[in-house]
Amino acid sequence: MTAPLLPDVADPVAGPFWAAAREGRIAVQRCLTCGLLRYPPLVGCPDCLGRTYEWQDLRPTGSIWSFAVYHRALHAAFAGQTPYTVAVVELDDGPRITGRIARDERPVAVGDRVRASFEVVTDEVTLIQWHLEAV
Amino acid sequence: MDVAGKVAIVGIGHTVQGELPGRSVEENAVDAIEAALADAGLVRDDLDGLIACKSAQGLGNDVAVGELLGANLPYVQCLDYGTCNFSLHLAVMAILSGMAETIVMSYGANARTGKVDFGAPLGGVDLATASGLVHIAGPAALALQRHKHLYGTTDEQFGWIAVGQREWAERNPNAIFRKPLSMTEYLATPYLVEPLRRPDVTMISDGGVAVVVTTAERARDLPRRPVYVSGIAEQSGVRGAHDPDNLLRPWLRDAARSIWARTGLDTSDIDVLYIQDPTAVWSLQMLEYYGFCGLGEAGPFLAEGHTRPGGRLPLNTHGGQLSESYAWGWMHMVEAVRQLRGEAGERQVGDAEVAMYCSSQAFSKAAASILATDPAVAA
Repeated sequence: MTAPLLPDVADPVAGPFWAAAREGRIAVQRCLTCGLLRYPPLVGCPDCLGRTYEWQDLRPTGSIWSFAVYHRALHAAFAGQTPYTVAVVELDDGPRITGRIARDERPVAVGDRVRASFEVVTDEVTLIQWHLEAV
Repeated sequence: MDVAGKVAIVGIGHTVQGELPGRSVEENAVDAIEAALADAGLVRDDLDGLIACKSAQGLGNDVAVGELLGANLPYVQCLDYGTCNFSLHLAVMAILSGMAETIVMSYGANARTGKVDFGAPLGGVDLATASGLVHIAGPAALALQRHKHLYGTTDEQFGWIAVGQREWAERNPNAIFRKPLSMTEYLATPYLVEPLRRPDVTMISDGGVAVVVTTAERARDLPRRPVYVSGIAEQSGVRGAHDPDNLLRPWLRDAARSIWARTGLDTSDIDVLYIQDPTAVWSLQMLEYYGFCGLGEAGPFLAEGHTRPGGRLPLNTHGGQLSESYAWGWMHMVEAVRQLRGEAGERQVGDAEVAMYCSSQAFSKAAASILATDPAVAA
């Protein structure tokens, strides 16, 4: 059994994203200079180069922009989990976030509506994953 | 500065591509350098430049290859990432600036017998990798799924990339995968990362590749038919995920615009086309962005057979990374040179005079080169 791939939740830039996930929230950086919502976390704003930002909670809903189904584990950490689906979700508030579709879900399609849930992996790490909304 | 016709490829060399157990990246690179020098009718002392290119594991840099090559050349440099295109562009710039006259570009890999884990995350672990988005096949599959959604591209249409390249590889004694692959067999292959199947993703092999480049003037005194550089272009997309559509790599369009504008050529001038292909999705995207077909039309274009043997746009006539060898796109340029010299044997495309090579560094950078037998084709 290979150890799971876990993020560094103490990372000075991404840390608050993981802290929010632990509390059941999706939070991204909002540039205090130009207002851009940015994800993945970055120390400065790639649009205006502003270095000040705050963390803003986003609604946990969106739609699938694209997805891929892993039929083979291409990293040992995911052995035994196949088939699994990873999706790029376009949040209703704008940013796109890539994460796992929850295991018990039916096959997905581009455009499907999804809602986040928060999967506790360890005491420190909670992953955002996606559930299909009832049609 | 217009580069057209001023610099030429005069030597190509490579090791066997496949399994070279116990051999270092640098040994493979230097073996290829010796082969390329022999091909060019040159010896080590004729060189005044070395441009090395690190392997995926960061090995084979200029200092390590240079030590084994054993020459204190005036101009020695290294690229962090290759595909051969980026190395060629640096060589052209070094030669035209007068920093060097005759440069060898090198690449070596031992990723196969070295059992490199290509699923290991390259940077830190983020939500995507922690969720299982690992290996280049993952983001490529996301891009293909989006393409299918936007344009209705079918598995069969897309499959013609892998099937067509296998048809070319059957005619290439250097190719590792030469067993015929029919469309029926392709479609019966299970998905790896859906919608990608195993034949849509690069193999991993060991080997070294080298290319010797010099001035057009010097090239005329050497034994091989010179292959001239008609134009070069690059375009980055280094904002990465901060451009929401980056998986679709829209910046490839800007590399295309540059290469056509600089050379004054267009798609109808290209006799043989090479696209570096860690996955077949790269070919799908670049056929469209470089204008060989319309945006979203690569599926039907491929199904019409243009890129297969006998078609009007032969693509990756050596088999590419899907069927010939891994070599990070370096063998694409070797094959382009072979075709333009008329040395491609059973797979020779008649009257091939202009070749194009398009490549990319994953989701970050694009490069394109046009090569020709006539130094004035783009002048």
